[in-house]
Amino acid sequence: MFNESLSVIKLKNILLVTVPDDPGDDMIYELQNKVLSAMEKYESAGLILDISSVNVMDSFFARTISETTQMVTLMGGHTVVAGMQPGVAITAAELGLHLGHALTALDVDSALEMLNHNLANAV
Amino acid sequence: MTMDGKQQGELPIISESDIVACRKVIRTLSTNAGFGITDVTRIVTAVSELARNIYVHAECGKMRWNIMHQPGKIGIELIFEDNGQGIADIEQAMQPGFSTVKSMGMGLPGVKRLMDEMRIDSIAGAGSTVTIKKWARAR
Amino acid sequence: MTYAASNYITVFDKWDDQKTFFCFTPEDAKRLSDFHPFAEKHVDEVVDGLYAHLLKFEEAQMFLDDAETLRRLKIAQRRYFLELTSGCYEEEYYENRIKVGVTHQRMGIPPRLYMGAYSYYLQLMIPLIYQYLGDDLEKANTTFSAMYKIINLDQELAMSAYIHAVEDVISKQTEEILEMSTPVIQVWEGVVATPIIGTLDSQRAQQFMEHLLEKIVESKSPIALIDITGVPQIDTATAQHLIDTINAVKLLGSKVIITGIRPAIAQTLVHLGINLQGIITKPSMSAGLKVALEMLAVGNTGFNKTN
Repeated sequence: MFNESLSVIKLKNILLVTVPDDPGDDMIYELQNKVLSAMEKYESAGLILDISSVNVMDSFFARTISETTQMVTLMGGHTVVAGMQPGVAITAAELGLHLGHALTALDVDSALEMLNHNLANAV
Repeated sequence: MTMDGKQQGELPIISESDIVACRKVIRTLSTNAGFGITDVTRIVTAVSELARNIYVHAECGKMRWNIMHQPGKIGIELIFEDNGQGIADIEQAMQPGFSTVKSMGMGLPGVKRLMDEMRIDSIAGAGSTVTIKKWARAR
Repeated sequence: MTYAASNYITVFDKWDDQKTFFCFTPEDAKRLSDFHPFAEKHVDEVVDGLYAHLLKFEEAQMFLDDAETLRRLKIAQRRYFLELTSGCYEEEYYENRIKVGVTHQRMGIPPRLYMGAYSYYLQLMIPLIYQYLGDDLEKANTTFSAMYKIINLDQELAMSAYIHAVEDVISKQTEEILEMSTPVIQVWEGVVATPIIGTLDSQRAQQFMEHLLEKIVESKSPIALIDITGVPQIDTATAQHLIDTINAVKLLGSKVIITGIRPAIAQTLVHLGINLQGIITKPSMSAGLKVALEMLAVGNTGFNKTN
C-alpha cells in the first residue's frame, strides 16, 4: 500500500524520514520496508528518523526502531533518531523503552553533523 | 468539565486500526480534562500498550472510558476488556521482562508506572479486564 | 475556569439540590416574581440608597473612588435587583452569582464589605415588601421569607466562588514555588545546569524532569549538568526518578553529567544496587562544567548511544 504521508528523502549519502504525529502499525511496518529498500538502492551510509512530530511512542514502535537500526547496521549504515519530544522521552524512560543501537540527536541538523563526524572518523 | 460534556463511552478493539482510534479519542479527552502534555502522553501510551495487548492476545475486546469528578480533582478511568485466554499468572505478568509474545516485555509493569492506579482481573480461559486510572493535578 | 474541580462551589448539576437544602421552593420563586412589578418601580431608590450608605465608609470608598466605576456598579446592581425578583433562578442566574464572587476576590473587596452591603440591602427591602403587601400580612411574611432565602443562596454561591478564586491563586503560587525550587539555567552555549536542593518526591521529580527536558530542547543543549550536592538523602524511588531523567535526556539526544555525589549518597546508591555505569559523574559542579566544555570543544557529544 502506498502512503503519501511517508516518504524517504535521499540527501547525498544519507536518508531522511519524517515520521507523522501518530503513526499506525501499518505505517511503522511501511517505514521499515521503505527504509531498507532505499538503503539497498542508494547504498546510503546513514539514516535519520525525524520524530519531532511524533506524540506517542509505544513499545511496538520502539522495538521496530531498534530492529530497523540493527537491519540498517547490517546493510552498512548508522541510524540517528532525531527530535524526540520531551513528553515522549519521559514516557519512554518510565515505560523502560530503549532504541537499541540507534543514536539520538536533538534535531535533524545535529543528526546530520553527527553522521558526518561519524563517517569522517570511520575513513 | 469536558467540552462536549460527555462523561463516558466505549470503543471496540478488533483491528489494528482501532489502536490508533483509541489513542486519538483518549488524547482529546484527557487534554480537555486538563491533563498536562506529559501526562497526556503517558495516558495515550498506556492506552496504546493495553489496546495492542488485546489486539495481539485476544480476538476482540473493547476499551471503556470514564471521566471521574471528585472534589478538587478530575480523573480518567480506562477499562480494557477482552475475551481472550486470560492472564494465567498475574504475578508473573507483572514482573518486568515477562512477555508472551515478542515485544520488550515492558507491557504491564511499564503501564503501571505511567498511571496512578492499575488493577487486573483475570480468569484463565475467560478473558481479562485491566483497569487504569490517572488524576489530573488539582487546579 | 473549571468550577467542577473546586472543593467549594456547588456544581450546576447540584444547584436544584442546593435550593431544596435552603428550603427555596417553586412557590418562593412565584412570590418573588409577583413582587417584581413593585420592585421595578423602586429599583433606583434602593440602588441609590445602598451606595449612599456604602459611601459613608472609608473602606468602601476606596473601591468606589471614581464616578465611572460608581456608574457601572450601579447599573450592575440595578440588574441584580431586578434579577432577584425575576422568578427565574436557573443556569444564567447561577453563573452570574459565581462571577460576582470571583470578581470581588479579583478586585480585593473583602467579604465583610460584601456581606455588610447585603445587610443594608435587606434593610431597604423589608419596608418595601410590607408597603406593597401590608394588607395581607401572611403574604408579606412569605414574600419576605422567599427574599431572605434567595439572598442566602446568592451569598453562599458568591462566597464559595470567592474561596475558590483564593484557592486558585494559592495553587498557582504553589506551582510557581515548585518550579523555582529546581531552576534550570543555561550556563554556556550548549550546556544547561540544574541544582537539585532538598528531597525529590514523585511530584517534584516529575516536574523537574519535564522542566529540564523542555529547557534542553529549547536551548538545543547537548549537555545537561545535574548537581545533587543539595540532596540530603536518596531512596529507591528518588534514584529511579534520577535514572528515568538520565534515560529521557539520552533519548532526546543529549548527555547528562551528575555532579556533587556526597559520600552518604554514594554509599546508598551502591547499597541499593543502583548502577550509574556509563554516566559521567564528577565531584563538583565546576569539575562537571570543565568536562562539559572539553566535550563541546572536541565535538564529542555526537556519539550518544541509547543503550
